[in-house]
Amino acid sequence: MARMKFLCDADRCIECNACVTACKNENEVPWGINRRRVVTINDGKPGERSISMACMHCTDAPCAAVCPVDCFYVTVDKVVLHSKDLCIGCGYCFYACPFGAPQYPKVGNFGSRGKMDKCTFCAGGPEADLSPAEFQKYGSNRLAEGKLPLCAEMCSTKSLLAGDGDIIAKIYKERVVKRGYGSGAWGWKTAYKETVAI
Amino acid sequence: MLIKRKSADVTRGKLQAALGGLSSGVMDRRSFLRRSGSGLVAGGVALAGGLQIGAVRKAEAAGMGPATGTKVVKNICTHCSVGCTVKAEVANGVWVGQEPAWESPINRGTHCAKGASVRELVHGDRRIKYPMKLVDGQWTRISWDQAISEIGDKMMDIRAKSGADAAYLLGSAKFSNEGAYLFRKFAAFWGTNNVDHQARICHSTTVAGVANTWGYGAQTNSYNDIRNSKTVIVMGSNAAEAHPVSMQHVLSGKEINRANVIVFDPRMTRTAAHATEYVRIRSGTDIAVIWGMMWHIFKNGWEDKDFIKSRVYGMETVLKEVEKYDPKTVEEITGVPEAQLKRAAETFAKIKPATFIWCMGVTQHTVGTANVRAICNLLLATGNVGSDGSGANIFRGHCNVQGATDMGLDVGNLPLYYGLVEGAWRHWARVWDVSYDYLQSRFDEVPAKGGRPARPRKANMELSGHTSTRWFDAAMLPSEQVDQRDNLKAMIVFGHGGNTIPRVPDAVKGLEKLELLVVADPHPTNFVSLAQRKNGTYLLPICTQFECDGSRTCSNRSIQWGEKVVDPIFESANDYWVIYKLAQKLGFAGDMFKNITLVKGKYGDEPQPESVLREINRGGWSTGYTGQSPERLKLHMANQDKFDIVSLRGAKGSPVENDFYGLPWPCWGTPEQKHPGTHVLYDTSLEPKNGGGAFRPRFGVEREETLPGGAKRTVTLLAEGSYPKGSEIRDGYPEFTMGILKRLGWDKDLTPAEAATIAWIGGNNIDAVSWANDLSGGIQRVTLAHGCVPFGNGKARAEAWNLPDPVPTHREPIYSPRPDLVAKWPARPDERTLRIPNLHTTFQKAAVEKGVAKAFPIILTSGRLVEYEGGGEETRSNKWLAELQQDMFVEINPADAAERGVKDGQFVWVSGPENNSRARVKALVTERVGKGVAFMPFHFGGWYQGVDQRGNYPKGTDPIVLGESVNTVTTYGYDPVTAMHEGKVTLVQIAAV
Amino acid sequence: MRLSRSILSLFAVLGVVLGLGLSSPATAQQNAPINPTASSVREDQLLNALKPGGAAEIGGRISIPDGTAATLIRPAGREWREFHQGTMHLVGAIAILGMLAVLVGFYLTRGKIMISGGPSGSTITRFGAFDRFIHWTTAGCFIVLAVSGLNITFGKVLLMPIIGEVGFAALSQLGKYAHNYLAFPFMIGLALMFLAWVKDNIPGMIDVQWFASGGGLVGKGHPKAKRFNGGQKMVFWSVILGGAALSVSGWYLLFPYTAGGVLNLQFWNVVHGIVGVVLIGAMLAHAYIGSIGMEGAFDAMGSGEVDLNWAREHHILWVEDEMKKGVIPARLQAAE
Repeated sequence: MARMKFLCDADRCIECNACVTACKNENEVPWGINRRRVVTINDGKPGERSISMACMHCTDAPCAAVCPVDCFYVTVDKVVLHSKDLCIGCGYCFYACPFGAPQYPKVGNFGSRGKMDKCTFCAGGPEADLSPAEFQKYGSNRLAEGKLPLCAEMCSTKSLLAGDGDIIAKIYKERVVKRGYGSGAWGWKTAYKETVAI
Repeated sequence: MLIKRKSADVTRGKLQAALGGLSSGVMDRRSFLRRSGSGLVAGGVALAGGLQIGAVRKAEAAGMGPATGTKVVKNICTHCSVGCTVKAEVANGVWVGQEPAWESPINRGTHCAKGASVRELVHGDRRIKYPMKLVDGQWTRISWDQAISEIGDKMMDIRAKSGADAAYLLGSAKFSNEGAYLFRKFAAFWGTNNVDHQARICHSTTVAGVANTWGYGAQTNSYNDIRNSKTVIVMGSNAAEAHPVSMQHVLSGKEINRANVIVFDPRMTRTAAHATEYVRIRSGTDIAVIWGMMWHIFKNGWEDKDFIKSRVYGMETVLKEVEKYDPKTVEEITGVPEAQLKRAAETFAKIKPATFIWCMGVTQHTVGTANVRAICNLLLATGNVGSDGSGANIFRGHCNVQGATDMGLDVGNLPLYYGLVEGAWRHWARVWDVSYDYLQSRFDEVPAKGGRPARPRKANMELSGHTSTRWFDAAMLPSEQVDQRDNLKAMIVFGHGGNTIPRVPDAVKGLEKLELLVVADPHPTNFVSLAQRKNGTYLLPICTQFECDGSRTCSNRSIQWGEKVVDPIFESANDYWVIYKLAQKLGFAGDMFKNITLVKGKYGDEPQPESVLREINRGGWSTGYTGQSPERLKLHMANQDKFDIVSLRGAKGSPVENDFYGLPWPCWGTPEQKHPGTHVLYDTSLEPKNGGGAFRPRFGVEREETLPGGAKRTVTLLAEGSYPKGSEIRDGYPEFTMGILKRLGWDKDLTPAEAATIAWIGGNNIDAVSWANDLSGGIQRVTLAHGCVPFGNGKARAEAWNLPDPVPTHREPIYSPRPDLVAKWPARPDERTLRIPNLHTTFQKAAVEKGVAKAFPIILTSGRLVEYEGGGEETRSNKWLAELQQDMFVEINPADAAERGVKDGQFVWVSGPENNSRARVKALVTERVGKGVAFMPFHFGGWYQGVDQRGNYPKGTDPIVLGESVNTVTTYGYDPVTAMHEGKVTLVQIAAV
Repeated sequence: MRLSRSILSLFAVLGVVLGLGLSSPATAQQNAPINPTASSVREDQLLNALKPGGAAEIGGRISIPDGTAATLIRPAGREWREFHQGTMHLVGAIAILGMLAVLVGFYLTRGKIMISGGPSGSTITRFGAFDRFIHWTTAGCFIVLAVSGLNITFGKVLLMPIIGEVGFAALSQLGKYAHNYLAFPFMIGLALMFLAWVKDNIPGMIDVQWFASGGGLVGKGHPKAKRFNGGQKMVFWSVILGGAALSVSGWYLLFPYTAGGVLNLQFWNVVHGIVGVVLIGAMLAHAYIGSIGMEGAFDAMGSGEVDLNWAREHHILWVEDEMKKGVIPARLQAAE
C-alpha cells in the first residue's frame, strides 16, 4: 500500500514559490491562507537553503491526536485529512503541528477563528470525490483523478517530490549519490520518525 | 454528513442525528468564504468578489468532469523568456485549471510562482475593463471607436505640427512575434524609427556586443544545453529568481556532470546559494573581473590556441589591454582576491565545455556593450563557443523579448536585423509589396538645427531613432539638442511599464510635456499612476497572450505557437486588431495589410496571426526566420514529447524527426526545405543543413591594420582552416551572393523559378542579390546543399573596431563609490548617442567634485524578485503573487543598518544623488549584500517619494500591491552604443524614517 | 515537568526573537572563498542544535507577513501533544475527581456544618445586590467556561462515544463560542470582584490564627473572623490570581496572532489548562461549602441576608463592626 509523503530536496529548491501559487491556483485558496510556504534558512548567508513546507501527512499525526472533536482521518494512502464540518476552529492542531500546517481564516472580531484549512495532498475531503462541495471546502482532489499534488508536479527544479514514500526516497537517494551532497530529507524525522539514509 | 473514508467507524445515534443539522456543511462553506473575504478587507484589500467567482467556477467545472467538455489548450507562459508551456483546462469558455505540461522539453511540466499562477491573469479583477480617457483629470469610459478616432486625430494633428518623429511608438516584449512585427511595420508606415521595446533596457547591450563579435545577437546555446556543461559561470544573473525553470537544467547539469557553478555577483543571490563558488564583486567592475581572468589564462597558457588562430580576429589587440589588469590592479578595482579569480579562470579554461550565463547585472551599465564584449572574448579565448555545453547563454527577460527584438522593435533595425540602409528598406518594400518611395515619403524632413545640417527624408529614414531609456529627455530637452524635426509630443505605449527606466522624477516632468499619452495594456501601468495629467491620456484594454493566438520566441531562439485559451475578457482586444484599427484610422491599413489575411474577430475583421507569420517567413532570410511556418510550429507543439531534453532533437520516426524543438533560428530556406533549425549557433561539428554553422563574417572579408612602426598589413576576417562538417569549401568564405554562386558554378543548381525571382530582385545588378534578400530562398538552398553556411564562414571579432571602445576597458561608473579610481579609469568623454547628448564625463566629474560618494556612501543595485516581473503591474495585480511580496524593500547589510539604527522591517528613506529624489521602503537587513551595498527590486510602482498614488489609477484597476520604484533614485548614465541605462550602480544614502 | 519544559521553550522563543537564533556555519566575509554547496545548512545539524533551553524551532525568513510562517520545523509540538494528551488529562482528573472525593469524604465524616446555636430568625445583610450580581455573573460564566473547557479536554473520551461525532462537534462548536464570548463578562466580573472585595481580603495575622485553629471545619468552635475569614480569602485570591492567569492566557489563545508564536501559544495553553482545572477543583470546594456543606451559607449569595447567628459564628468581628457602625438595628443587638 502506497504511503504518500512529501520530500523537499533543499539542494534543488530555489524558493521560486511555484508550489505556493500552484497550490493557490489548484485549490482556490484565499488570501491569507498558506497551505504551502517556502522558508529560507540562513537567508543571505553562504549555505542558505530554502525548503518548501506544508502538511507532511505525518505518521501518528499530532494534529489528529490532539483534536478535541476528532475531525481528522487518514486515507488509505495515509494522507491526513480533516472534516471542516466537524472542525470547531479551536487551534489545537496548530499548537501541536511541528510544521505550522494548519491555517485559519483570520477574522477581525474575537473568538471566531474559522474552520481550519490545510494541505490535503490534493486529495480533497470527506465529501464525494470530485464533487463541487468537496472542491469548495477542501479544493481539488487530484489523487482521485490519478494525479499527484500540483505543487510537486509544478516544482520548477523538481525539488519538491510527492508520492509513495519509498519511491521518492529512492529518487532522493539516487540524486544524493550521484551529486555527492544532500542536506537531508527535511522534516522526515519529525513527521515519519525516519530519514532517508544514504 | 457521514465521513466517507471512516464511515464504518461511525455510529449514529438519535442524538447525533438531531444535532447533526447544527454543523451543516452549507453554513460552513458560506462562512468560510465570507470569513476569507472579511479577512481581506481587514488587510486593506478587497478581493472577495473575484475569489468567490473563481471558486465556484472551478467547482462547477470539476463537477462536470472531463467528459463534459473540458478542453485542454497549450500556450506559453507570458513572463520570462524560458518559454514554459502552459496547459490550460477550459470549460464553457472559462479557464478552470492548469495542468503540468510534462511533454514540453523546456519546462517538463514545471513552473515558477508566476507560471503557476497565470490563470489568474485572465480572471482579471484588476484589468482595464474598457477604453478610458482622462477628462479634466477624471477617468471616463469611452467606446473603442471613439478611442481610436480621437487618438488617430490627435496623432495626425501632431504629425502635421511636429512631424512623424514626434510620436514615440513604444512596443513590448509581451507582443507575440506577429504583434511585434505588425507594430514595427506600423512604425515604418507611420514614418518613424522612434520605435522600441523592453530589449532596450534588458539586453540591448548584449545584442550589440554579441552581434558585433560573432554575427547574431542572441543566446548561442539553450537552457537545455546547459545540461552538457562542466563549468558554468553565472555573472550578473540571478536565474533562480529571474528564470527559475532554467535552474532545472543548470542544477541537473551540475549534478550529473558534477559541474562547477561559479557565481559572480555583488549579492549572494539565491542562485549563488547553489553555486560551488561564489565570488563577490563590486558592482560595475565586470570588465576588470573578466580581464583579470584573461590575464591568468594567457599568463598560464590556458587559452585555446587553435580556436583563436582559426576562428578569432584581433585577440592580440585585446591582450595588450588585458596586460594592464594584473591581479593587484584587479583586486583594487573589483575586490576579488587573486587566488579566487585565478581558480575561476583556470576552471573555466580547463574544465570544458564551459558556458557563461549573464543577465542584466552585466548589461545594464554605461559600459554594458563593453562588458558583453569582454565576456565574448573570454569565451573565444577559451574556445567555448559553438559546441554543446559551451557558449554565451544569455538569459533574456520577457516571454518574447527575443522575438520582439528579432522583429525589429528597435530604433536601429527593420525586422530581422535588416538595418536601416536603403537595401534593407528596399527588401522590406518588396516583401510588403509597396514602393520604396512610398515608405520614404512617410518620413520627416529635418531642418538644420543645433549646428547640424538639414536632413532629407532618405537620411532621416536611415537614422536610428530615440531610445526608450531617454524618451523624456527627447520630450524635455531644448529642441536644438534633439536631432529630429521637433521634440516628442506623443507616447503610444503598448505593454511597457513606466517605472522600469531610471530617473523617474525626470520622467514625471516628461509626462507633463506630452500632448498625447496612450497606454494600451492589460493593466494601467505606472505611466498612468505617475502622471498628474488632466487630459490627452487614453487607456486601451489589451488582452494578454493567453487571449489570442500567436508565436513567441524563447531566449534560446526556439519559437513556440501559443493557442488562444479564452476570448479576450471584458472589452479588451488583441494587439493585432488595435494596430489594424489604428492603421485604418491613420489611412495606411490598405497598404500595410495588403497581403495579410483578415479574419472575423471579437470586434470585426482582424489580422490573422498565421498569415502575419507567413509574411515574416517571406522576408526573414537574414536571420533564418523563414522555415518556421505556422504549420511546422503547431506540429512541434502537438509533438512536444518527441524531443530530447538535452539535444532538443526530434525523435526518429516521429513527425518532427530531426527538427530541433521550436525550430530555433536560423531555420534556413523555405518551410518545405525542412531545415531543422539551429540549436547551437556557430557549431562546426554539424552540417549547416542539419543545424551547423560558423561565425558570421559581417564586417568585411579583410582588414587593413597599421602596425606600430606605421607599416600596414592586410589581415583576413574569414575563418582559417575551420569550416562546418560536410563543407565543400574547406576554409573561410564570405557571405553568399548570386555573384559568388556564379563563380563557384553553383548557380546552375537554382530552379528556374528561383532564378527568375533573383533576376527580378537584382534588376541590372543580379550578382548583388544575396542569401539575405533572395525572396526565393534559392541561394540559401543551394548553399546549404553544398555544405556551406549562407552567411559565410568568418572569424569572430575580439576587437570590434566600429564600436566606441573597440577593446573593452574598465571605466568607473558615473556615480562611482571610488572617486580615487576615476582619474585612472574615467567614463567616456561626452558624446551623442542616438539623437541626443550622452554626457558621461560631465556627470561623472560633477559627482566627483560634489563629493557624492561621501554624502551617498552606499552602492545601490537592483534586480528581480521571482514573484514579479518587469514593471510589475500585471504580477502585482495577481492576488496569488501579490500575497507573497507585499512591500517594496531595500536589502541592507547588518553593519550599515547598525550604523544607521535601522531595524529589519522598518521603513527607511533611500535617497539618491539627483533631483533630491528619495524613496520610502522597508529595510530588509541581510548579509546577502556586502557592507556598503544595497539592493532594491525594480518591480514596484504606485508610490512616489513617499506618496501613495493609488488614487491615480482608474477605479478598480489599481494593483493589489504598490510600492516605490527603485528608479526614483537611480541616476543618469547611458551605454554609448545602445543608450542602455545604468540600472545597477548608483549611490544612495539610507536613513531610518 | 512538562510545564517547566514549556516555560523553557518560552524563553527559547524570546531568545530567537532577540536575535540569538541559529548561527550560520560560515559568515559572509567579503572575499573569503565560499563554496555555498559545500557549506549548505543540513537538517540534522539544525535538529541536533535543538536542546532544552536552547532554540526550540528551526526557522528562517519568509516573504509573507505572517511571522509564524517563518518557522519550518517545531519539534516542540510533540511535547505539547504529550502534555495535552497525558499530563493535562491526569492533572485534570486528579484536580476534579480528587476534590470530589475529598468533598464526599468530608461530607461523610463531618456532615453538614450547622449553625451551632440554630438560626436566630433575624438576618443581617451580608451582600448587597451589586455584590451578588458580580458574584453570580462571574460564577455563571465560570460554570459555562469550565464545562466547555472540560469538554475540549475530556469530551472526546467521555461524551463523543455517546452522542456521536457530528453531534459532539456541533455541541463543541457551541461550547467554543460560549467559551470565547463568555470570557469577556467573566473577566469583567473578575475585575469588579477584585475592586469590590479586595479591601476585606488583605491577609493578616488573624487569618493565621484562623488557619491554626482549623478554620471551624476541623474540631470545635469557630475562630474569630472579620468580613472574610482565612478560607474565604483563600478562595478570593485563588479566584483573582487564577482568574487573572486564565484571562491572560485565554486572551492570547483568543487572539493567537498577538501571542508571538506557537511556542508561546503552547505555553499559554498549558497555563490555561492547568490553572483551569485547579481552579475548577477549588471552586467545587467553594461551591460545596457555600451550599450543601454548611447551613446558612448559601443565603449570603442567595438573598444576601444571612442569619445573625450564622454571621456571629463565622464572622463575629465583622458583625461587631457592623453594629458599631449602626448598620444593625439596636433591637437586634438587644435581642442578643
